[in-house]
Order: sequence, then C-alpha cells, then structure tokens
Amino acid sequence: MRFALSCVILFYCLGAQAADLETLAEQPRWRALLHINPGATLRDRQRSYVDDDDFFLAADGADDPLAELRATRRALAPAGAAERCRFPARYRFLAEQLGWDDPAPFAHCADYQEWRAAVHAKRAVLVFPASYLNSPSSMFGHTLMRLDQGDDGAVWLSWAINFGAVTTEDDNSLFYIYRGLAGGYPGRFNLVPYVQKIQQYSNMESRDIWEYTLDLDQGEIDWMIDHLWELKDINFDYYFFDENCSFRLLELVEVARPGSGLLDDLRFAELPVNTVRSLDQEGLVTERHYRPSKEQELQALSERLDRDERVLARRLADDPGLADSAAFQAYPETRRALMARTAYRYVRFVNRKAARTEDVAGRSFALLSLVNRLPAVPEPAPAGRTPPEQGHGSQMLAVAGGQRGADDFGELTYRLTYHDLLDNRAGFLDGAQIQGLGITLRGTESQAVDLEALDVVSIRSLAPRTEFAKPLSWYVEGGLERVWAGRRRLARYVQGGAGASWRLGNLQPYLLASARAENNSDFAPLITTGGGAEAGILYHAGRWQWQLGGAGHYFINDVYRHRTTLAVQYALARQHGLRAEVEREGWRGDGDTEFKLQWRWYFD
Amino acid sequence: MKKVFLAAALLGASVSAQATAPGGPGCGWGNLIFEGKSGMPVHLLATIVNGTSGNATFGMTSGTNGCDTSGALTYSGESLLSMNGVLEEVAQDMATGDGEALTALSVSIGVEGTDRAHFNSVMHDNFAAIFPRQDVSAAEVMQNITAVMQQDQKLAKYV
Repeated sequence: MRFALSCVILFYCLGAQAADLETLAEQPRWRALLHINPGATLRDRQRSYVDDDDFFLAADGADDPLAELRATRRALAPAGAAERCRFPARYRFLAEQLGWDDPAPFAHCADYQEWRAAVHAKRAVLVFPASYLNSPSSMFGHTLMRLDQGDDGAVWLSWAINFGAVTTEDDNSLFYIYRGLAGGYPGRFNLVPYVQKIQQYSNMESRDIWEYTLDLDQGEIDWMIDHLWELKDINFDYYFFDENCSFRLLELVEVARPGSGLLDDLRFAELPVNTVRSLDQEGLVTERHYRPSKEQELQALSERLDRDERVLARRLADDPGLADSAAFQAYPETRRALMARTAYRYVRFVNRKAARTEDVAGRSFALLSLVNRLPAVPEPAPAGRTPPEQGHGSQMLAVAGGQRGADDFGELTYRLTYHDLLDNRAGFLDGAQIQGLGITLRGTESQAVDLEALDVVSIRSLAPRTEFAKPLSWYVEGGLERVWAGRRRLARYVQGGAGASWRLGNLQPYLLASARAENNSDFAPLITTGGGAEAGILYHAGRWQWQLGGAGHYFINDVYRHRTTLAVQYALARQHGLRAEVEREGWRGDGDTEFKLQWRWYFD
Repeated sequence: MKKVFLAAALLGASVSAQATAPGGPGCGWGNLIFEGKSGMPVHLLATIVNGTSGNATFGMTSGTNGCDTSGALTYSGESLLSMNGVLEEVAQDMATGDGEALTALSVSIGVEGTDRAHFNSVMHDNFAAIFPRQDVSAAEVMQNITAVMQQDQKLAKYV
C-alpha cells in the first residue's frame, strides 16, 4: 500500500515538478554536493572540481548540474536502487525537495550502514597544525577536520577527515615534486583516527596544533558525513596553491551549510591560516584550543627546573639508576617528580623516530615507574601563544625612504609571502623566516626607478639549542640583489649556511658557516663561489624586535665582501610595522653606509 | 653537490618523519618503527601535499601496529591500545593519573563520566600491576586493566 502510494507521489512529482528541477539544480546545496566551482578559483569555473567519472551519473554531469540532477533522480527513485548506497546525501537532498517518503531508504546498503554506524559525530572541529622550525615543507601549515563522537574530552577517539594527494612511490625524483605542485596527482579524502594525526604532528614533527570548534549543528554535521561517503575513492585534482587540503575543507563546510559565503571570493592561493580566518569571520568558530607539541611540553617542563636540576634530569635520562643516588634523593619529592618527568619526556622525545631498542624501552619504563612512585605534580602549561589567525597578513607592501652614501632614495617593496625575522611576531614562531617572491624597486635623485632586489626564496630557521634539544640552525636563499662588484651591480645568487643558535632570556645569538654562489657582469667566472660566516643576535621585547648581524664572504677570485646590519621593527598594529635599518656594506679598501626607514603594511 | 646540499637544507630534520611501517617484530612498549625507505623527494612532497601513498583509508581499517589486524571499525579499549604509539601514551597517563589517552581509554571501555576520576586514580595506583614489565603487550595490558577493574567496587560493573 505504501509502495503504491509512493509510486503515485513519485509520478506526480515527475510530472508536475519537471520545470522545478531547473530551480532545484541551481540550489546552493545541490551545487555544493557536486562541488561546482562558484568562481572561487581560476580553473574549472562553473564546473565540478571532481575529476572522476564514478562521481557522476550523467555523461555530462561535471558540466551540467541539471543533467546530473535528472540522472540522479532517475537512479535513486526506485526503492532498493544500488545508487542510493553510493549517494546518501544526494538521496537526502532529493527526498527532502521532492517529498520522497521512504522510512528506510538505505536498508539494502550494508556497507554504508556499517560505516555510518562507526562514523558519527556530535561536534566538528577544524584542526590546524601550525608550521614548525626546520621544515619549510610545513611552512604554510595544513588543515583537517575532526569529528568528535561525543562532547567529552575523548578526542583520541575522534576521526580526522584529511584531504591529500595520492602519491605512488615509483617516481622517485624531483619530477615528483613538480607533479605535486602542478596538479599531476589526484587528491582524495581519507578518514583516519585523529590520534594518528596527533602522533604525526605533535609527536613526530613537533608542530603545535590549533583546534577550532565549528558552529555546526547535528543536522549540518550529518550532511557533511553523508556526503563524505560519496567522496570515498573519488579523485579530485590536487593543486598545492589553491585546490588544496584547506580549500576542500571549505567545500565540506559549504555542503553542511550552503550559502555560508566561504567560497564567494576568487582566490589564487588558499593558505591554511586564511581558511581559519574565513571561518572565523563568518562566525563559524565557537571555541579555540591549543595543543602544544611534545617538544613544547618538554620545554615548558625543563623551564621549571633550575640549572643543576636540568643537568641532573639529563643524566637521569641516560641512567635511571641515578634515582637511588644521594644527589637525587637530596631533593624534595616534588622536585624529584619534576626531574623524573622531564627525563622521561626527554627519552621519548629524542627517540620518537627511532626503532624500539631494549635500552630505550628499559629506560623509559624505569623512568615512568619512578614518576608513578613520586607525587603527581601538575604539568606546567606552555606559555600562551597568539593564535596564528591573529598574526599579520600573508602578503606585504612597504614603502621606504633613506640614504645610501650621499644619495637619497625612495623604495617600494611587495612580498607575496610570508614572514621574516623582524616582522610583527604575534602568531608566528620566533626564529623562523619564510619569504617567497619579494620585489623591491628603488629610485634615487640621480637615477630612474630600477630593480633593487628580487627575492625568490628566503628561508631561515634559527632553532635554539637547549639541554634537551640540539637542533641545527640553517638558512637558504636565492634571487637577485645589488652588491658591490667594481660598482653596485645586480647579482644573481644562491646562498646558504648552517650552524647553531641559543636562547638567553629574550636574546637569541646565532653563528653560522655560510657559502655563496654568485653571477654578475663583473666577476670573470660565470659562477663565482665563496665561503664565509655569519653571526648575529636577535632581541625581542613586547612590540620591539631587534637584530644585529653581520656576514662576510671570501670569493675564489680573491674578492672579499661583508655586510653588517642593525635593524629594529616596532609593531604599530597587527597589520602595520615600522622598521629602521642601518647597513654597512664593505669590500676591500672601501664601503657604503645606508640608512632606511620603512613602513610595512600586511594584508590578506 | 649543491643540489644535495640544498635538498638536505630544505628537508631539514623532517626526513623519515612520515612513513609509519606496520607491524614489525613486536607490538609492545613504545613500538614506533619508522623507516626511511620513502626517500627525500618523496617525503618532501608527502609533507607539502599531505600525501598518502596507495589507497586512501576511509575509516575501515585503523592503523594498528601489527598485533591486531582485525581493522576494527570503532575503537574498543583493546583496539585503541593496539594502535601505534597509544600504549606508550596510556602508560604515561597512568603513571601520572591523568591525560587524554587515559580519558579515551575510559570512554572506550564505557566508564561513565561520574566514575572517570575514580578510574584514573585506580589506574594510577595500580600502574605497577598493569605494566609489570617493559615488554608487556597490548593484550596483556588490557587483561591487567580488566583484572584491576574487577577488583574495584565501582569499576567492576564495566567489565
């Protein structure tokens, strides 16, 4: 009887609502379910982003949402249709819009039902593992979506939705990287236990994680999960700059809440931090949680110890037997507890990437047993950090005026991305610099405007060494800059170095050995190489950041050059900074001095 | 030479941080086995495009460490413990009496919110019984937890 009735309703719908299908195909949710590009990125505008025939029921479904809607209605209407099991969100959309009434539309879909029973959520959380020192490949961060099964603190039981490129291990070459950037690999969604992501980012890669609870209700979250099933094994193109992990997550939110406005603007690149900003601006973020990396936690613990205690904790890590020594026993219980915990954390930290050995397992176990016997001490919370979305914008425009020798000059700088050692530091890692595509034009009284510098890339990682971590500090940069070679000339160069850095309160000294390869119109060898050193000191206090540094190189053609800089930046506001610089460039027998005052405006 | 240097500098310390090898000789304490087989460019790419190699998992198989290959759909206490690295975190939380791993374990066992603080303190007090040796396996730990819970008035009803 019910079947007959639904048939009647169905035929009625087929007849009467044929014209309405056109409006239905224009609905934001239908377009979101098909991943139609609303004009958010350059490629595939008004087409589907999905690059997979399996995702479409109509031959021209990727281009024509109406044709896909017709084909979907035809395929999903019959009770027991196999396509219902593949497209539960589309079914839900059609059933709501066309008034289909089937109390158990997925009764025949065992796989889907089993999956859906396991993957359910009460809360959706956007997760942003921030970048970390020493790995530029993480520089822009990453985003993923977390699905919490309950509203308690058991996030270790949550799922993580992750969009990434599906790579093969056959192509082991640089070509591989090129393909990754240029869309040569398909991108897919995957779903893994969130605890694996914590381990990957927080433990292995020492990245802090920021978690943003989204203002999505149960119904909206269900739309997202149902649609996720439709994306199982479905290929998208993966483009590093715009159609990346972050962009695809915005599309998921658009399915949950069509018309959210997240995809309204055209973008050339989707930076994860901007994804967080978009969601925040649209009022979708209700709560923010900071999850420090294991390294940060170790750092915070060790800062609670004085110097002697740190040394003892470090020795205890190598030899847990010291717990019975008089030196250790002389300390009160709570101090012993802190030292034991630091030692344990240290052992785990330094061995986080290593295979298990009897020795490490034995020491870990002994230290943990010691921790257990001593009174519980509350873990110190790592110092509060400014969340990354409150940091300065990723692009920058700057104007400057100054004097070099006797010449006054004016200067205009644009930088595509992202941050240098002196830029406003709120929301960024101290000692980390990532710059890409910066161009500076300079005009003087005597000369027309000319190219002063073109920074292709400049990456610097000054990671302080401590009792418990001995990271390498290094840098690499390349591009065009003006240097002295007979006169001031534009030189093409690549330069890099490695060394160490330390932290003494707010001071961070560094010392690096460095090498440079240069091409200019004066030097005889096509590529002239040189070696040298670089040293300096960083200081930060509130809105002020200082750097005093010098670098010198001696080249194979017996040319010697050095440059010393004193620079200070004052953070006027989140998006504005004022910088003053004095630079002395010297070469054999002579030198130039330059003063510069610069206003830096960050945006986007 | 320069290319090698550049690649090394670009990669920094992150080489080999990605590939989680399954299984291995044991599945006990701190079993985190990372192999460097994926090579530098592969790893660099993997990080920048958040790559997964081979078929993307879709919640059907959980990343167990080789002791448990049943690929549990949901996490029971036991399948949680047998996931790579979790045992170690649970041990750490039990030693101190608090933490996210311990919370997750109590939730997956079904301990109600009102009993969780009690669960934590019982686990803390019985750390030595639950982790008697350094090479204890996930299955043994689960057995020991069950045994400890059975001895406790409030927790016995959950096992």
